[in-house]
Amino acid sequence: MKKPVITFARWGNYTIAFKTLFEQLGLEVVPPEKTNSQTIAEGAKIAPEMYCFPMKVTLGNYLPALKKGANTIFMVQNVGGSCRQRYYGVIQEKVLKEAGHDINFLDFRVAPKDIYSAIKKISNASFWQIIKAGRFFFKKLRLIEKIEKMAQDLRPREIEKGATDRLLTDIFTKLEEIKEEKEFPRFKKESLKRLRGIEMEEKKDLPKVGLVGEIYTVCDPTINFEVESKLGREGIEVHREMDITYHLKKLIFPWKDWIIQRKINPYLKSTVGGHGRDAIYEMLHYIKEDFDGVIHLLPAFCMPEISVRPILEKIHLESGIPFLSLSLDEQVAEAGIDTRLEAFIDVVRDYHKNKRL
Amino acid sequence: MTIGIPRALIYWKQPYFWESFFENLGFKVLLSPSTNKEIVEMGVKVADPETCFSNKVYWGHLLWLDGKCDLIFVPRLKANEEKLEYCPKFFGLPDLAKILVKTPILTETFDSRREKTERTFEKLGGKLKKNREETKKAQEITLLKEKELKEKQKEEFFKKIQSKKQKIVLISHPYNLFDDYVNLRMKEKLEKLGAEIIFIDQIPTSNIQYPISNIQFHWEFGKEIMEKIQEILKYDIDGAIEISSFACGCDAVIKEFVEKEFKGNKIPFLYLMIDEQTGEAGIQTRLEAFMDTI
Repeated sequence: MKKPVITFARWGNYTIAFKTLFEQLGLEVVPPEKTNSQTIAEGAKIAPEMYCFPMKVTLGNYLPALKKGANTIFMVQNVGGSCRQRYYGVIQEKVLKEAGHDINFLDFRVAPKDIYSAIKKISNASFWQIIKAGRFFFKKLRLIEKIEKMAQDLRPREIEKGATDRLLTDIFTKLEEIKEEKEFPRFKKESLKRLRGIEMEEKKDLPKVGLVGEIYTVCDPTINFEVESKLGREGIEVHREMDITYHLKKLIFPWKDWIIQRKINPYLKSTVGGHGRDAIYEMLHYIKEDFDGVIHLLPAFCMPEISVRPILEKIHLESGIPFLSLSLDEQVAEAGIDTRLEAFIDVVRDYHKNKRL
Repeated sequence: MTIGIPRALIYWKQPYFWESFFENLGFKVLLSPSTNKEIVEMGVKVADPETCFSNKVYWGHLLWLDGKCDLIFVPRLKANEEKLEYCPKFFGLPDLAKILVKTPILTETFDSRREKTERTFEKLGGKLKKNREETKKAQEITLLKEKELKEKQKEEFFKKIQSKKQKIVLISHPYNLFDDYVNLRMKEKLEKLGAEIIFIDQIPTSNIQYPISNIQFHWEFGKEIMEKIQEILKYDIDGAIEISSFACGCDAVIKEFVEKEFKGNKIPFLYLMIDEQTGEAGIQTRLEAFMDTI
């Protein structure tokens, strides 16, 4: 067998953490290419036409990495329960092989045992090394999520516009370079200090918008055209529940699903696959928390999110909260999204002002 | 009391079953008419623009029934007896139907991973204030009738397979195959072009476990279609056509494997997508071209 050179599905800033995980296992890694319009077009060219968007995006991200010498792809299946994500692995393997790439596809279920045996097989790492790599991975992941959460609060309050995003890029670039776990605590402290050092206006009464929807599109700023930072720069505080930790917590503690189901019973009495139920639950939660708007992000034709969209629209009509649903695919242009966002921001500001009267 | 059943989507999974089940329980059943232009237009108007065409048709049927009966029956199909899942879009049907129509919705969750099908039927009967024996009897009579139908289908299949004409297999979900308006009378068109049409649903499967090429579907229709393709490949067929409704998420997955199966056996394969804008002329041309290649 050839020496495995790993690449994997790109997912926003979390890519850094995934890269670290494989590197710590002593594997050679070629990180997937950053998502841009060209990779998306390349991916869409070889992907099945009616398949959902994240599949085309990740395919497009593999291609340049494969050109650079990667020969093994990691793919997790069954992230979304009943949805099509389960078949990403088989379909991607099929289309890549048909496109003439000689690859080894590692497709495994998200169960600790399966992940462990898949990693063990490919890397020959010892048990201790895997645990250590996993620990480092989670540390980085948690930091990324924490920084993203902080940025959501910082952006609308910063005095110099764009300072937060610039700092974020810098921190993430440096975080990617950290290879030793012992350097990590100091870096973490430093980064958080730098973030706290951003000059802020003390504005208390900001309009708040919640992001709900499909996990991949919500979490990856390159896919959703940086909705979070665009709203932030317009002085709107953005909140989002969905991230990897949230998803993993739900996998480990099933009772979270039961709580969600109880809360949304008047609207939907069953799972619809993926994170369909969570979108309804989060929207209801944001209304309770007195938010001023909800944005629903989904890849075009995503089955679970399409099923719940009429329900979200019903909640929107009942409560009057501004609601915008953006479905993303390879044909969506940034200008179109911007126009709709601008109009939405006006509605949100109006709603926020009138509420106080 | 009248129970309305929309003649679309899940109805075609078990045609005549629900109708005769409720009739045997002593209710009047109102079936929506065969799909027509008005129904499709009504459905398209209210449906989410990105949901699949079959779903849009279903909403049209629901709206037609609205106000014409006391209850509308919309089951929540989750898993069949083999513990395989149905399309995830079926999971939320009753909830979405409730938003759409004012007539109360009669529903029950069919999930054999959680409870036995008989128990589900009992619960359904209970909702209609029928006791256990009555429900069981109605169910048994209906099942017998269904069995008869299946036998007839089997006979028909063996008659067709011996035909001298060119044999074409139509692959799709039952709600596309049996709804003549939705599939633009494809069967009729092909028969005029001199072909013998075999629906994938008519192919009898024996109880032998087939070596499924390289994929295990967790969808009941996925497994069924793959098994039936393995079966039909044993016979001599001249071509295969897959019909898929626009925006069907499951078909995007299944198509890849169906295509591989036929192309691997050097059988001509045509993939057709249907939606509310498909024109008859366009389909006609493609079918003619396909028949010429065979």
